Amino acid sequence: METPATRPTSHRRRFLIGVAVAALLGVGLGALLLAGTRTSERRDRAERRALVTLSALAAVVDRASGGSTAEAAPAAPSEPAQPSEGSGMGLGAEIAAAEQGQPQAPSGAQDELLRRAVERFAATHPEIAAIRVVRFDGILLAASTAPADEGTQAAPRRLARDEKPLYDLGQRLRAAVEANRQGAEGAAREPEIGLERGSGGVISLAAPVERNGEVLGMVQMETRARPEPATFSWLAFLAAWLAPVAGLALLSLILGEHRWPLAAAAALLLVIDLWGYSRYALGVIKADRQESARAVAARIGEESKRTEALLSELGLFQNNPAGQPLAPTLWDVDLYRQSRGLLDASGAPDEGKLGEIAGADAGRMTRSVIILALVSLALLAFVGLGWAARTGAALVEHRVAYAYITPAMIGMLVLVFFPFFYGIALSFTNANIYNTDKSIFETWTGLQNYIDIISDFHVAHRTAEGLVWDYHNFYYTFLFTVIWTVCNVAIGVSLGLALALILNLRGFALKPIYRVLLILPWATPNYITALIFRGMFHQQFGVINQIFQIFGGHSVAWFDRPLTSFLAVLTTNGWLSFPFMMVISLGALQSIPADLYEAARVDGASRWQQFRSITLPSLKPALVPAVILSVIWTFNQFNVIYLVSAGEPGGSTEILITQSYKLAFEQYRYGYAAAYSMIIFLILLAYGTWQNRVTGATESIA
Amino acid sequence: MRKDRRSDEPAHWPLHIFVLVMVLVTVYPILWVLTIAFSGGQSLAITNVPMNATFLDRLRAIVPWPAHLSAANFVSLFRDQPFARWLLNSVIVAGMTTILGVVLACTAAYAFSRFRFPGRRAGLMAFLVSQMFPGTLMLIPLFIILVKWLSLGSTFTGLVLLYTVTGIPFCVWMMKGYFDTIPKELEESALIDGASQATIFFRIILPLAKPAVAVTALFSFMTGWNEFIQAATFMNREDMYTGPVGLRFFVGGFSQQWGYFAAGSIVAAIPVMALFLFLQKYLVSGLTAGAVKG
Repeated sequence: METPATRPTSHRRRFLIGVAVAALLGVGLGALLLAGTRTSERRDRAERRALVTLSALAAVVDRASGGSTAEAAPAAPSEPAQPSEGSGMGLGAEIAAAEQGQPQAPSGAQDELLRRAVERFAATHPEIAAIRVVRFDGILLAASTAPADEGTQAAPRRLARDEKPLYDLGQRLRAAVEANRQGAEGAAREPEIGLERGSGGVISLAAPVERNGEVLGMVQMETRARPEPATFSWLAFLAAWLAPVAGLALLSLILGEHRWPLAAAAALLLVIDLWGYSRYALGVIKADRQESARAVAARIGEESKRTEALLSELGLFQNNPAGQPLAPTLWDVDLYRQSRGLLDASGAPDEGKLGEIAGADAGRMTRSVIILALVSLALLAFVGLGWAARTGAALVEHRVAYAYITPAMIGMLVLVFFPFFYGIALSFTNANIYNTDKSIFETWTGLQNYIDIISDFHVAHRTAEGLVWDYHNFYYTFLFTVIWTVCNVAIGVSLGLALALILNLRGFALKPIYRVLLILPWATPNYITALIFRGMFHQQFGVINQIFQIFGGHSVAWFDRPLTSFLAVLTTNGWLSFPFMMVISLGALQSIPADLYEAARVDGASRWQQFRSITLPSLKPALVPAVILSVIWTFNQFNVIYLVSAGEPGGSTEILITQSYKLAFEQYRYGYAAAYSMIIFLILLAYGTWQNRVTGATESIA
Repeated sequence: MRKDRRSDEPAHWPLHIFVLVMVLVTVYPILWVLTIAFSGGQSLAITNVPMNATFLDRLRAIVPWPAHLSAANFVSLFRDQPFARWLLNSVIVAGMTTILGVVLACTAAYAFSRFRFPGRRAGLMAFLVSQMFPGTLMLIPLFIILVKWLSLGSTFTGLVLLYTVTGIPFCVWMMKGYFDTIPKELEESALIDGASQATIFFRIILPLAKPAVAVTALFSFMTGWNEFIQAATFMNREDMYTGPVGLRFFVGGFSQQWGYFAAGSIVAAIPVMALFLFLQKYLVSGLTAGAVKG
């Protein structure tokens, strides 16, 4: 070891500390993940049980409000063929099956029955704090057991103004039901059950009440669903943490102070330990899931008994000799009112389904363990190989400097570097607006986005009218962006340089006034410029068309054809970008010493020769960086495109950066848009590197 | 000698024509905005052109002078429209950004300028490289982090943090350049006199760097004041719009309130345009110096 230490460094000690720290990190994070999973499983369990009760309540409300009173209820299949996921048989289907085609006007007696049913239901469920039934027709609170709704406030009554959220919730559920019914296969579904988590384990659940496929009302229930607290096994945690330390301590007696054998032993012990802990965690999770299934099955048994008793007490079964039975096995629903399908026909937990879930758990666990192992091994290497000691020494030695930069560095790490790497990670997923709560591993699709973008060569296709560009193709947009950039920089440089040369002439009158006026576009905030030009290019009232008409032209619909639209954005950007080049060139021109020209004239050089041999070379050091900067700015000139043409017509004037913005924030394809942005970044990086090499090379020759 | 240089140079009057045309093109959109703002109406036409217009009618339609001069748009902008609220939002966001940004940039730049420590070069390079990250690549993860995870959508905190951090690299490089020009001997003699690190920084360096701090602060302010995309993405509630988002609200989509837009643009742009004209020589030297060195 190269440390000139007064005390020789001990590899043994370092690796022991390293394993202790790395195992603490790995096992600690693992234990946190486990605890998180267990807590959320317990919360899910409590909510699933509450949802079963809600389903029972909905069935009661449905029957009590006139649903299944018809004699001639057709023999709908009471037990769907296969209660699998996505079969569409859930609470809604149950209700639909229970009553088909009875347009029944709710009578006063019917309302009374509904209120009694709700009251009885609340009485048999002490954990329910309040039940409210809302009927949209007449904005009516049809029944309520909330303590506040007594006396003059008692149902039935019209909803008060401050109860609008309740009504809105119902309307939202109705909209969701209708959207899901129309939605295509595989489209993202909207939750049909309202779930709000209050404090102290009280949750509020709401389900739509349907009749003949139409949502007529809503039943809402506030209930206590406090999840049982998850216990944390300190013993397992301590054992998993200390086992590899003890193991290495023993092994190190044999291995002595040999660095690499120690490293290998430590790494091996660490990996085995993490794997072992993951097996333990998997067992715990599996037991939790089985416990949940049992608890839900028990609740379903309970509720179906209570509901049957309640229905016969209210005489609702007598009205229905066909005996439209309840379908309690379908009461274990998710928020989309789809049966979770975890129970078999007899109401017992379906072992096959549980096995599938356990398999998925194991897959996720493996991925977590791989990541945890990599992180822990990195930490082990960091400590064990002595980097930690050196870093620590440097931190102490330069603590003042680090103290100064830490605040800025933390900000940069959290809001620049982390998002950057997170963006890269996102580009390998199919993340979109509907699955942002899922982890990156669940949406991981590898290189799919990149392949989709790069391998799509449908730039144009032939039709009867000739060649038609496909404006949303990546290569079309890229080509357009390049043309856009080249045209703009050419305009900027030529106009800017010409004006600078003129303003640099000796004795040119009114120089300072011209300079200030010509610089104004640069000073104008560019979003304002863009919006101004959007107005000036207006087809009917825009000033530019008025000018055209003075000279006998027709008014042009600027944003209806790709070419005119391009001219419009080009004009806008030309207007706002030439002053920058002008100012840069002017500064460079003024720094050329006058005696250079003096000497050239004495030697008999012509004006053109002077320009070529003196002016241009002196401009180069200032112009080259300015051109590089302006290429990058124009390439990413978001505001002008987004605000002036907005990509019209049909995305033909979209540049890469606006296209990726639209992918992300108008189509909500975050993963795809991230991959698109990554490609933009790589293009710019390649350009920067190439430019740097070329200009660097020319500079070394000059 | 003087005489034959004159004959050597081209005649100035054709050049004057060219420059005058350019000046006209440059100034016209600005005059147009002034005209619409003071027209008192919401139309984006300067005058109404009759059906069978004569040449004079058409000419009148492009002369940037309103049919009737009126300040109604300005009055109404602040009385009937929430523009005052939006401007206030912009002031708060840009102001907070400036304060936070300058504090963070000063301390970091001082360390980068005065201390030699492991990671110094890497840190400076990282700041530089971060400027190359494309805006939209950052926007998507930032949107998920700030809005979905931290629930900072439509809040001042979220936008201020965002602007501050994105502005830090530029401010750090600029301040570092200035700190580098302050002679080290000043600090060394102070150190000998028994001054602490903090005293040196606050009592000696910062007062000397006042001009650079001022310029950095003004640039931060202008960035926060003019920024559009991030504000449009993160501020969804109408009462939390900043000036730029609000201005677009007037004329974006199917809204055609050009009078409010023009008046609002003038109110929002005049301070920054004045600042810019005053600051542009610093900006140019900063850009070219940095670019040539890098």
